This record gives sequence, structure tokens and C-alpha cells, in this order.
Amino acid sequence: MQSFRSHWLLLLLSIGACGISDAQAATPSQDAWQEVERNARGTTVYFNAWAGDEAINRYIAWAEREVSRRYGVTLVHVKVADIAEAVTRVLAERAAGRTSQGSIDLLWINGENFSALRRAGLLYGPWADQVPNAQLIDTKGNPTTIVDFTVATEGYELAWGSARFTMFYDSATVGEPPRTPATLLGWIRGHQGRFTYPRPPDFLGTSFIKQLLLVLMPDPSRLASPVGPDFEAVTRPLWDWLDAAHPGMWRRGRLFPASGPAQRELLAVGEVDWALAFNPLEALRAISNHELPATVRATTFAGGALANSHFLAIPFNARSRDGALVVANFLLSPEAQAYKADGAIWGDPTVLNLDALAPADRRRFSPAAGIPILPSEHLLTEPDASWSAALVQAWLGRYGVQ
Amino acid sequence: MKAVALTILLAVSGIPILAGVGITLVEAADPAAWSTLLHFPGIGRSVALSVWTGAAGTVLALVLAHLTVALAGTSTWARRVEALALPVIALPHLALGIGLALLLSPSGLLLRALSPWATGLHRPPDWLLVQDPLGLSLVLGLAVKEAPFLILMLVGARAQVPVTRLMLQSRSLGYGRLKAWWVSVAPLLQRQIRLPLAAAIVFGVTNVEMAIPLGPVSPPPFAVVLWQWFTTSRLELRGAAFAGSILLVVVAIGTLAVAMSALRLARRVHSHYAASGRRGRSSTSIARTLAILPGLVLALASGAVAALVCRGLSPMWRFPAVLPEAIDASLIERSAPSLGAALGTTLALGGITVVLAVGLSLWVAESLSRDSLWRRRVGVVLFAPLLLPQMAFLFGFQWLVVRLGIDGTWWAVGWEHALFALPYAWGIVAGARSALDSRLVVTARTLGAGLLRAWWAVVVPLLSRSVLLAGAIAFSVSVALYLPTLFAGAGRVATVATEAASAASSGNLRVAAVHGAAQAIAPLIALGVAMLTGQSLFRNRQGVPR
Amino acid sequence: MTALRLKDVSVSLNGQMMFAPLTLSAEPGVVTSVIGPSGAGKSSLLAHLAGALPEELCAHGEVRLGEQRLDDLPPEERRLGILFQDDLLFPHLSVAGNLAFGMHRRSEGRSDRRRAIAEALESVGLAGFEARDPATLSGGQRSRVALLRVLLSEPRALLLDEPFGRLDTETRADTRRWVFDEVRRRCLPTVLVTHDQDDVTAAAGPVVKLQPGVKA
Repeated sequence: MQSFRSHWLLLLLSIGACGISDAQAATPSQDAWQEVERNARGTTVYFNAWAGDEAINRYIAWAEREVSRRYGVTLVHVKVADIAEAVTRVLAERAAGRTSQGSIDLLWINGENFSALRRAGLLYGPWADQVPNAQLIDTKGNPTTIVDFTVATEGYELAWGSARFTMFYDSATVGEPPRTPATLLGWIRGHQGRFTYPRPPDFLGTSFIKQLLLVLMPDPSRLASPVGPDFEAVTRPLWDWLDAAHPGMWRRGRLFPASGPAQRELLAVGEVDWALAFNPLEALRAISNHELPATVRATTFAGGALANSHFLAIPFNARSRDGALVVANFLLSPEAQAYKADGAIWGDPTVLNLDALAPADRRRFSPAAGIPILPSEHLLTEPDASWSAALVQAWLGRYGVQ
Repeated sequence: MKAVALTILLAVSGIPILAGVGITLVEAADPAAWSTLLHFPGIGRSVALSVWTGAAGTVLALVLAHLTVALAGTSTWARRVEALALPVIALPHLALGIGLALLLSPSGLLLRALSPWATGLHRPPDWLLVQDPLGLSLVLGLAVKEAPFLILMLVGARAQVPVTRLMLQSRSLGYGRLKAWWVSVAPLLQRQIRLPLAAAIVFGVTNVEMAIPLGPVSPPPFAVVLWQWFTTSRLELRGAAFAGSILLVVVAIGTLAVAMSALRLARRVHSHYAASGRRGRSSTSIARTLAILPGLVLALASGAVAALVCRGLSPMWRFPAVLPEAIDASLIERSAPSLGAALGTTLALGGITVVLAVGLSLWVAESLSRDSLWRRRVGVVLFAPLLLPQMAFLFGFQWLVVRLGIDGTWWAVGWEHALFALPYAWGIVAGARSALDSRLVVTARTLGAGLLRAWWAVVVPLLSRSVLLAGAIAFSVSVALYLPTLFAGAGRVATVATEAASAASSGNLRVAAVHGAAQAIAPLIALGVAMLTGQSLFRNRQGVPR
Repeated sequence: MTALRLKDVSVSLNGQMMFAPLTLSAEPGVVTSVIGPSGAGKSSLLAHLAGALPEELCAHGEVRLGEQRLDDLPPEERRLGILFQDDLLFPHLSVAGNLAFGMHRRSEGRSDRRRAIAEALESVGLAGFEARDPATLSGGQRSRVALLRVLLSEPRALLLDEPFGRLDTETRADTRRWVFDEVRRRCLPTVLVTHDQDDVTAAAGPVVKLQPGVKA
């Protein structure tokens, strides 16, 4: 109940309707939500989401059927190779003066894409707290649900799933995996051409160097505040490690895969023994789909795994705003979240607070969803957003032109 | 009627180009954008790579094309070579690029076919074969793609050159076969294909479809850099992307100018060489040895398609297996819905494009059948989208369709597809129409046929083979278009091209291969249908133009 | 049949008359020859009469068939037959298809039309040629089919644009005789443009010489 009240309080503050008591606010808001659902009926919601993974596409296809059946909302998955395409489209629409009736209703987003759109004023909001199921989110246990790469979401996006940085390896060739930077470096030098990582500014590649920096630094607390003139000194260990490791990597560090899935492809055909992901269950699903050898296992750095969340956002000029709200609410429902967390479906960890759910809802989640499958449950929070850009720039400066 | 037809045609083609170029110029007017562009790490290398790969790929293609046409010799053989070149031309660049990568990489089909029995390899070797820093794999890919196009143009140019007489004369003077061709026929053919060669150079310098799967990454060719900037969330790079589009146009024109003066120089050197009097008798036997090269181009293209199919069929393409042990039913089940929908959209859009491009070309060619001046002008305007880098006007086109409120509709995508299919359709249809004896139409009219009947009963049947070919080519163009579909379709119009590209760029090569294979095979079927229909139509009428 | 009458007819290009205004009356059953050096505008004159003048050319004067003014009618309503130097058979149609192209679709049924075609072919010694590809005929055979095609369309007058120029000497005389006989038999007003003196002699009708034009 406490969380319920504080939730509505937050909502009231955010929409500036101060001075109304909790009790008064709850009733009209329920009415308001019912009105949202009424307005949403019959609308079409264009959901622009990364489509590089068939499992995710199938999950969204399931959601399309469900929201159509339950709420009469036509959900359309607009498949994008990179969500930046959608950012470009919103920009083109603003350039053409279209401030309503935009072509995108809902976006799957996080990190720098969110901060870029937010800074440019291209997002609608705050709206996240108007969605009833948002109150189920585990904001205390998982602060990454309201702080996206150290940028406060302020209600302009709604947490949808959570992730932690994971490494896959083929146990048939690697055996017992190295779990520290030093042992990994030793392994790379001993196994010419069998390790690589996606080329920054790819999201996963950038995450890899952040993850490395976090476990290489004696005290990573410096990363919580913005980049300063000490950048060179702070990041020294990272560059030393990469300089030492690159000659032993795939193609001697002169070529890098374009993305996480591209590297998974290299693992699948047998060019490398490692792949990176933000979803610990991705490997499990790939194995059951015969996309990776059955000998593939997941691991994390002993020093902790980088963790973050991914979100839903609504562009400033969305045509079916109410429809988007209804879809977002559905995607946050215990049922949709449990289905998503199922390793056979997608395997994306939930953002909901399982302890706060009704027992019936809690039972929807298979035991695996709550049980750590990785040796380390130690989670590391993302550095301040300024580090991403600075690290990518420095990486490109050192290794981008060869 | 002429005015109406012209207005519509120029509106379809001219307005998007004007809007595109206009927006680019406005957005690039910011000095900060130019500063970002010029100070970006590795930008010089990127530009140099674009120039080098584009020029080298085209030169290699040109040499291959001349060699092939020279080796083909007789017109019967030339027609056979042409029939083999057409399918490679119809292959979309992206599909060919992905396929070549899947063929030639260390874990590719070629090495699998030889492993482990011949190479002893059980794991793919760590060789930098594809996406090499010098761009050699991209040069090879461009040559494979452009050589058949230039071959087609050279075979077409044979009609304007008295090949048989020239060869007879030179060989009776004692010149070997290849040398005879090289000194007497090749220079005359070369003069005929200057415009297509220019289009090939511009494409080579500015393309992204082949540069993404085959080109280097540290840094990538300039056009790929721009594509990345246009689709990044780092908004501070957008201005630089527009400025870069202008720079890309300048670079392309510069390369073109250098290439053309190099050709002039080559002509001078060539005439010295031709006047040397050496007969090159051994060139006849050399010719036999060199015949392997055109075969290699064909082998690479077919190998690329085979690699696409193999990869698409295997959920996990473990080295050194060529095919999966068993084809998994769930795999087909998983691919079928998205492939089916994308294929349906692709076919429908292809159909719309064919109707728009070929229909418009036929109509305008008819109304301009007695006006050669305007025919030439129309040709120049329609050719612009091929000579301008796509990057330079796609964002402007997107702005235009958003302004008109038709973004994300099939209208917008069909319009843009027609824009790119029109130069080909127009070239074929208008060329055939102006070659048609206008007195045939006069005769039909004086025999009592009205305007419509004379067109339908005389002009259309006589142009039917050209119309079919134009339709097949327009369809192939539509199937191949990736960036234009993405921009005009607001991402909502999913074709096999957009699905293949989004899967490829997110690294999901199996899905990319499935869509790539569909993308490669659809135009081949269209082309086959067009050629077979064309042959069976009027089979017993020798006088119908071929 | 009534006469084809031209009154002050000329054709100009960029305001320059190609020949001096021409007035003549082509009487039924008579071949009226129009002669002049090449480039004098003979073909343009016939194109104007047929209604197919190229866009850059401008026509002047009046053309009548009997009392009917022809100038402003589209070619298909003038019902004038034209024969060019080339036979211009439609290459995609059979011989019978070519002949049927210009036939009127009045009351006769399909079998009547077929019979008419067979008879026509027989009358010129081409019996059984219906299904042949025009490209397989000899030059003389092709000109006969071309003339048959015109005659079967029942023209009200005939325009001949050097129609025998491409034939070899022997065939030319035969074909010419045969065409002129048909003209007389059917009483067609006929205009022949030519620079071949033999044509003019064989036509044995009035001769009109095109005079150079002046600034309009």
C-alpha cells in the first residue's frame, strides 16, 4: 500500500496537480485510465523495436495478438535494424512540421538514444507513472529501472526489461572460463584469434569496454560522476589491457564484428569461442533453437556484472498516444512480463517486484526467472552517461583508424 | 496530351530530386557541420577508400567486360554472354554482397567445400579475407557486380559498330584474335558506353549496399560513414552527414573527371600501341586461357547465391559443414511468416513499380514519339537519381512525403521505387519506341484505326519484348532497393530488402541469408519469365524487333 | 467515287513554305502525278493529306473529298489509303492478320471476312498465303499484300508515296501496272508522288510539278 500511495503522489507531483489529497486523486485517475482504454480501442499503435532477434519478434507478435484481443488495439511491430532509424524519422517529422500524427507511437529504447531524444525534446511525457502496472516495478531493488545510464528517466520512459552483461563461451574448447581481466588476457594470448568483441560504438562493444574498465579499476566510484580532465589517467588500465589483448584477438584486432548478434554468428560457425550479450538466457534459447552448440555456457566477470534496463518511450508527436499507453501497460502486466522472462520464449528478466505481486501473479513466473543462473549476482551500475561517449571517442581514436 | 504526360513524368522524377537536394543544401549550410565533418578521425582515409574501391572496382569490371565481349567474338556468342550477364545484373547488390561474404570468408562456403579433405582444416583459419583494410574484397565484389552491366552495354553498342568487317580486315592483316579486337573494335565500343560507365563509377564510389558486407571497417568507406551518421542517435552528427553528402557528390564527380581524363590518356597510349604494327599472333591462344576470367565472375555470383541458400537452411552453420545434417522444420516455421509477409509486400511493390515505371515510360514515349529534343531532355532528368548519391536526396524525399502526409504508405514507397526504376524503363522503352518506324502507325491510322487501337494493336505488340525486359528490370530495381524503401516507408513497409538489411546489420546472418536468397531469386524468376514470354510471343514472326 | 480536291495547299517549316501553294483536283480512276526534286516536300504533302504531318510542320489551304472537308479530321476518319516506298506490313501479324486489320467490321461475319481475304489473295496469285509470316515473302509479294491491305479497307482515295522505288526493275513494272489497273477498275482518285519518270509515264495522268516555296 505504501508503494501505491507514493506512486500516485509521484504522479501528482509530476503533472503539477499539487494540493489534492491521495484519496481524491485515486478515483478520478482510475476513471482517467478507463477513459484511456476507451480511447485506445480501435487505434493502431506503431511500435518501433529492434528486430535482430527472432525470439523477440515472436514475443512482440504474441503481444500484438493479445492487445488486439483484450483492448481492441492494433499493435504493429515496425522492425528496425537500429533504433536510431526511428530517431531519424522523428527528426524528419519535426523538420517537416508534423507536431502530431507522427508515424511512431511507441519506441523500445535506452541509454544514449533516450538521452538524445530527451535532450532534443522529442519525447512525450512524463507519462510512465500514469500507467497502472508501473507501480509493480521494483524501483528499489533495481534502481536501473528509473535511472537509465545515470540519467533519471523522470517519467519519460517506462522500464520494460532488465539486463546484465554476460559472456558466452564454448565449454568444449574453453573449459573452465577465465573470470578476471588478467586470466582472460592470458587465455586470449594462448588462443590466437578465438576472442573478439563488437566494434564500438556498437552498444554491446561499448558495454564491454565499460564492463572491463569497471573491473580493472581499483575503485570504480570515480565513474559515477561525469568525465573530467583525469580521463586519460582513469582509463589507462583499460587501454593497456586492450593494447595487450588485441594482437591475440580475432583478425589480430584489426577487424571487429559489427554487433553482438554478428559475434554470436562467429561463435555459431566456429570462428571464435566467445560471444557477448546483455541477456543471460539468450544462450539457453539459442541452444534450444539449435543456433548455438549445446556446449555453450554463460559467465560473468568475478568482479561483477554491468546491469541496466531497457525501456518504452512515446515520441512527442505520436498519433495514438492512448493506444501506446494501453500497450505499455499490457507489456508491464505480470502475465506479459512472466511470458517474456520464460527462457523458452525470450528469457528477458522482469522489472517487476515479484514479492509485491499477488500470489497468483507470482506463480506465473517460473522459478528460473528469480533464481540466479550465473555464478555472480554482484551487479555493477552503469557509469555516468558522459563516459560512454568519451570511451567510444577514445576507442575510435586509438583503434578506429588502422 | 504531350504537356500533361511531360508534367506528370517530371513531377514524379524531378520534384523528389529537387526537394532532396534542396533540403541537403539547407541543412549543410552550417559551418560547424563542415568542421565536424573535416575533423572526424579517419575521414581522409574513408574518402580515399571510397575513391580507390569505386575506381578500381569499375576499372576491373571494364577490363573484364571488354575481355568477355572480345572473347565472345561473334554476335551469336555475344547474345549468349548477354543472357548469362542479365541474371547477375538482376541480383540485388546487398544480396550479392552478403552472399560473397558468406562465400569467401574463412568460414565461408568455398573453404568449407575444400575442408577438411583438401586443407586439413577443422576450424576456420584466422585470415583477414573479407572486409580487409585495403578494400580488396569490396573491389572484387564491385567488379563482379558491374562487369555484367558493362558487358550488356558493350553488347548493345555492337549494333553501332561494324564488328565483323573490322575483325575480318584486321585478322587478314595478320593480327591475332585478341589483338585484332583490341586495336580495331574495342576503342569504337568504348566510345559508345561513356554514360553507363559514368553511372558505374558513381555507384562504385557512393554505394553502401556492397560496402557494408564487404568493405573495411577501420575506417569504413565514406558512404558507409555517412549512412552511419544519418542513422545514429548522435544528433550532433546530422549536420555533418548533410555536409558529407555534398562532399560525396564532389568526390564522385572528381573521381569521374579523373577517370575520364585517364581514359583519354589511355586512348592516346592505345593508338601508339595500335600503330606499333606488332601483330600479337599469340593472342589467339592467350584468348583461350583468359576465357577463364568471365567464367570466374559467373562462378563467384552463383557461389554467392549458393552460400546464401546454404546459410539460410542451417540454423547453426558449423564449420566445415556445407549443409546442415537435417533441415529443421521449426526453422522453416520460424522464418516462414516474416518471409511470406515480406515477400508479398515485395512482389506487390514490384508490381506497382513495373506498372508505374513502364506505363509512364510507354505513355510519355508515345506522346514524344515525334519530338526527339524532349526525349533527350527527359532522359537526362530521369537519369539524375543514378548519378546522384542516394544519400544526397533521400532525407529530402522523406521530408517531402512527410509534408504530403503519405509517409509510410505504399504510395510513397511506390513513388520512390518508380523514381529509381524509371531511368532503366525509360531507356529501354523510349529507345525501342524511337527505333520503331513511325510510318507503321500512320499506316494503321489510315487503315481506319483510331489513336488507341493503333497504339494497342501495333505499337504495343511491336514493343512487347522491350516492355517485358523493361518490366523485369524495373521489378529487379524495386526488389533491390533498401535505403529508399526504409526512408519513404517509415520502416512500416517491410520488404525482403529491408528485412535482409536489418537482419544483416544486426548480425543475424541466417535470417539475412533467407531474405537475401529470396531477394536474389525473385528478380531471376521475373527475368526468366520475361525472357521466355518474350521468346514465345511472335515466335513465328521474324520481323518483330528483338 | 468523288474527286480529291486541293486548294492552295502548302506545308511550312518555321514559317518557310516548302512549296508554292498547290491547287489540283484528282479525278476518280485517274492517277495524278506530283513531281519535284527530293526535299521539295512531296512526302510532307502526302503526310498532310493523310493527316499525319509531323508536329514541327504547319499546313495551309483546304483539302476536300467531294464536298467533305478533310483537313480537320483524324486520319482514321479520312478513309484515304496510303502506300509508302516500304510495304510496312505489320511484322507481328500474319498475312491474313495484316489484310484483316483495315477491313470494316460491318455486318459480315468472320467467315465472310475470311472468304474475302482468300479471294483477294487468290486474285494476286498468293492463294493459301494467309498464315505466312510477312518477313518470309519476296519484295513483290509484300507490295501486293500491302496494296491488298489498302484496297480491302475500302479507301475513298489513294495516296502513293514512291511505292515502287524499292522494287527491282522487273517486279517494278509488273507491280506498277497491276496497281494502276486496280485504281482504274475501282475508280479511285489517286495522287502519286515520285521522281521516277517511268512512274509518271505509266500513270498516264495529269502531272503537277511542285514549285519552290516562299516566306509565308
